[in-house]
Amino acid sequence: MNFQLIIDNENEELITARVKKSSELTDRIETLVKEYVGENKIVAFSEDETVILEIKNIECVTVIDNKVWAITESGKYLIKNRLYEVEKMLTSSFIRINKSSVANISKIKKFISTYSGGVNIEFKSGYTDYISRRCLPQVKRRVLK
Amino acid sequence: MKKYAIEFLKRGMSFCFGGPLVLAIVYGILGLVGAVENFTVGEVVIGIFSSTLLAFIAAGITVIYTIDKLSPFSAALIHGVVLYLDYILLYLFNGWLQSSLKPIMIFTICFVLGYLIIWAIVFVVTRKCTKKLNESLN
Repeated sequence: MNFQLIIDNENEELITARVKKSSELTDRIETLVKEYVGENKIVAFSEDETVILEIKNIECVTVIDNKVWAITESGKYLIKNRLYEVEKMLTSSFIRINKSSVANISKIKKFISTYSGGVNIEFKSGYTDYISRRCLPQVKRRVLK
Repeated sequence: MKKYAIEFLKRGMSFCFGGPLVLAIVYGILGLVGAVENFTVGEVVIGIFSSTLLAFIAAGITVIYTIDKLSPFSAALIHGVVLYLDYILLYLFNGWLQSSLKPIMIFTICFVLGYLIIWAIVFVVTRKCTKKLNESLN
């Protein structure tokens, strides 16, 4: 793999990585670029204060009682956007795990098989969520790559 | 709910032809081995219609697995109950199963055993998959 830097004052700045498949390196490049341009943060709310969450610290974004919550190791925070809007802001280390949740793969502690034949995810904070049958093949592809 | 009802109808309509096809194969085999020599027109007509209905319900009910809200266990349980009722009622209606306790019990035991075996296979496969996923995380 080579590194190529093109100085071009004429066109819009763009960081491109040409790789065979996404990897930890591409995830880190994406995070770095988002940090640099200031797109790595998201505004959220705890009980009485506004907090700025770093996307890389979010374990899972989920809908509970029609409200969107960001789950982190330090607690859960309300986000005043729709889930699909938040999904667009997230980095590629996030993946849809069911109709109501998007999970950060780098924050998964373990996968748990249930007696009902399903698969759950336990995050580093201890928070757990389920993987729907529809999303399981995609999660497997991402994790096993 | 309407979405799932439509999907039920679509799936049922797509595969209901399988019922009469299986019926024809079974009738053919019964004829070949000499177990049955002739059928009345009524038996054949009722057989074709009821096997179409049986296949329609059996195919349509697979829609249950697309309902995200249901756990795999609940989905499998509903699927199993509907299939059991579908088969046993139409078998009894056609006289393919004697309407007495012993044959019904034998059918029920075979059905439950078959379902448990499938369930055990699903569980083992899921556990294997989870183990593989956890190994990739480490």
